[in-house]
Amino acid sequence: MSEELLGINDLHVSFSTRRGMVEAVRGVTLSVEKGEMLGLVGESGSGKSVTGFATTRLLDAAGRVTGGKILFRGQDVTKLRGDDLRQLQGAAMSMIFQNPRAALNPIRAIGLQIADAILTHKKISKDAARAETLELLCAVQIRDPETRMNAYPHELSGGMCQRVMIAIAISCNPALLIADEPTTGLDVTTQKVVMDLLADIAAARGMATILITHDLGLAARYCRRIAVMERGRIVEEASPKKLFSAPQHAYTRRLVAASPTATSRIEDLVTEEERERHATIVSKPRQQLPHGTPPLLEVRKLAKRFDQGSAAVADFSMTMAGGESVGLVGESGSGKSTTSRMICRLIDPSEGDIVFDGQSIGHVASRDFHRSPLRKDIQMVFQDPNESLNPRFTAFDCIAHPLMRLDGMRAADALRKRVEECAERVGLPLDLLPRFPHQLSGGQKARVGIARAIACRPRLLVLDEPTAALDVSVQAVVLQLLDRLRRENDIALLFVSHDLNVVRMLCDRTIVLRNGGIVEQGESRALFDNPKTDYTRKLVEAIPHIETGPALAAAL
Amino acid sequence: MLSYILRRIVSTLPVMAIVALFVFSLLYIAPGDPAVVIAGDQASPEDVERIRQGLGLDRPFLIQFGSWVWRILHGDLGTSIFTSLPVSAMIGQRLGPTLSLMTVTLLLTIVVAVPLGVVAAWKAGSFIDRAIMAFAVFGFSLPVFVVGYVLAYIFALELEWLPVQGYTPLTEGFWPWLQNLILPSIALGCVYIALIARITRATMLEVLQQDYIRTARAKGLGQGGILFVHALKNAAVPIVTVIGIGIALLIGGAVVTESVFAIPGLGRLTIDAILRRDYPVIQGIVLLFSFVYVLVNLMIDVVYTLVDPRIRY
Repeated sequence: MSEELLGINDLHVSFSTRRGMVEAVRGVTLSVEKGEMLGLVGESGSGKSVTGFATTRLLDAAGRVTGGKILFRGQDVTKLRGDDLRQLQGAAMSMIFQNPRAALNPIRAIGLQIADAILTHKKISKDAARAETLELLCAVQIRDPETRMNAYPHELSGGMCQRVMIAIAISCNPALLIADEPTTGLDVTTQKVVMDLLADIAAARGMATILITHDLGLAARYCRRIAVMERGRIVEEASPKKLFSAPQHAYTRRLVAASPTATSRIEDLVTEEERERHATIVSKPRQQLPHGTPPLLEVRKLAKRFDQGSAAVADFSMTMAGGESVGLVGESGSGKSTTSRMICRLIDPSEGDIVFDGQSIGHVASRDFHRSPLRKDIQMVFQDPNESLNPRFTAFDCIAHPLMRLDGMRAADALRKRVEECAERVGLPLDLLPRFPHQLSGGQKARVGIARAIACRPRLLVLDEPTAALDVSVQAVVLQLLDRLRRENDIALLFVSHDLNVVRMLCDRTIVLRNGGIVEQGESRALFDNPKTDYTRKLVEAIPHIETGPALAAAL
Repeated sequence: MLSYILRRIVSTLPVMAIVALFVFSLLYIAPGDPAVVIAGDQASPEDVERIRQGLGLDRPFLIQFGSWVWRILHGDLGTSIFTSLPVSAMIGQRLGPTLSLMTVTLLLTIVVAVPLGVVAAWKAGSFIDRAIMAFAVFGFSLPVFVVGYVLAYIFALELEWLPVQGYTPLTEGFWPWLQNLILPSIALGCVYIALIARITRATMLEVLQQDYIRTARAKGLGQGGILFVHALKNAAVPIVTVIGIGIALLIGGAVVTESVFAIPGLGRLTIDAILRRDYPVIQGIVLLFSFVYVLVNLMIDVVYTLVDPRIRY
């Protein structure tokens, strides 16, 4: 029907590291037709980004194409040099990246950055380039483009930065655009806006797109064809419908199972084979608390104002019973992290009170709270397991530290026993305890973070996007772990997330925040199935769903 | 922007006040009675007392300080004990050579060191990188006077390309002026070239790792555009900082260099004044150098805001 634009043939890419050559891509064969949007899906380390970088010739100095061909319009990209290469880069083929704010030069006005791309490839005057820049900013729907041209990246939101990146990428009307995790790190509503924009632009300009993502749902929503990568190879290639209803390869099956959907439960997140293996740890239902038990946590009219006066959080009240799990959702900037940090007593509220187990803790200054006996009852799991572990502490030190500080545990034997107990609890192999964070995988680091948090046997665990930096299969395991901890140890969970599918599975109740205030709250499933406010509806609709069930069966 | 600069100038006032107090106290901290020193060996106690009263040394400390500051604000730095000339005139005479030496050295340093650092970072790990860094280590480890004498021996005595010593004012022509400054500037600049090349390389290496450099490559920008438009400007803040610190260090280096090349600058004046315990001259020079240093820092702060829009003013 249509002709091939890009043909990758048995591509091999290796990186030279201290431990010798590491093969990141081992024989990828892929083809992209003109104007098509192809999804390239896989977990971290699968080689999907490396494939993208090899195609656009942006590999690090350590990376090298060791075999195969990348044919773009019949020309082997891997053999291009000098001017031929630069004529390709940014002109015929362009790329947008994860973390748009970092991908833009922080000290150059965005208008100039777009004009750079135009002036590199077209012999036109600066004024003409400026006019084109303005058109591009309009095309990516940036309001008030005249003023925004002079803005710097730090003055724009993440979503806007990504639009600027898109403007740069499409500035010379490329035939192929490679989008590497373009919306990871943006909240769901922004993700939808950016992806819709990208899809529209690609369709309008007849541009072929490769969408590289770890999010199967996202790929399914925007691509007609999805290629799944695992450990440097493409293991399966199919339409989204086929991929979800009848995944062929074991890895695809695992990935599909681990991707949360609107209806999935925590138990569903692993494939059936795996479920059988873990059949023994079917969790017992939580026992109902007798009526009239005082709440574990009560937050009254909490507010936080930062220097400039406008409130980040205002009039926030909630209660939590022991062992309950509550989700706190909202877009970035809605005040959910600020709220969770106030409850953890890491920052001081401007107004209101926090009552934990009958004691008012809202007025204890946050920098003195570490001396409070309640410190060990309220613990936190942070967003990025890479950043929140001390790189000079071994996993053991990490878990042992709060025990020594908060429980006053000194005896080496007892300490070792407790640390090992915690590690076992979170499924961290004991032989990993002497390792430093950089020697652990993302999932293992997440477990260390959770083990550290539960070491002192807290009664409330506050989790700030604990799975946002993790692959779906690791996320599935971590979620199951959290759910088990809650049921077996009766730990209450306050779960801050922008991933509504995850909140729906894990949390009994959900609170929706917007601009620092509560918009809606209620029992999770009811809230998501029948949102009462437009805002919640918008959030729910923005989740890339994987259509399953009767509609899909009929289509096949 | 203007209000920022004004605010910065105002904020340097306390610094200058503290420096002034310190400089003034030199007279008291230093061993020996200034009046005795001035009077000389053969003076009678009456002579000493007369001199003390003449200098106002018998009045309370704060009053002395106050009237000293008042005089300085009116441009009166006092009179040299040794030559009986006004200190401001003595400094004025010697300012030209030192300023010339420092300016030429600074320009030479920046023009040589920054490109060296950029090239080293761009070709990191290659032979060129290693050669530049080896040179940097070499430049670090050689004292100014060694480099100075070696240069003077090779280029002045053996090859006779440049004059051995001395100084010609700029008013007598650009080339004669520059001729006399080339060797001293290279000798003095060696350490700073090494230092700034290293800092430039380290900062550039970090900047070249950043995502936006990959974006620049993705746009198809040439190597020059990437290195100088996108990378170097992002690396500028640490480099400018080190250049600023370098200027402060140059003041010390200039003293030694001027001795080696017999340049009649402030460095020589300082040494002479210290040897003669000529306190008014020492005070004047220290005050001037402090003022220059504060001014340089002010300029660096302004440059920061020009380079990086994220630094708010």
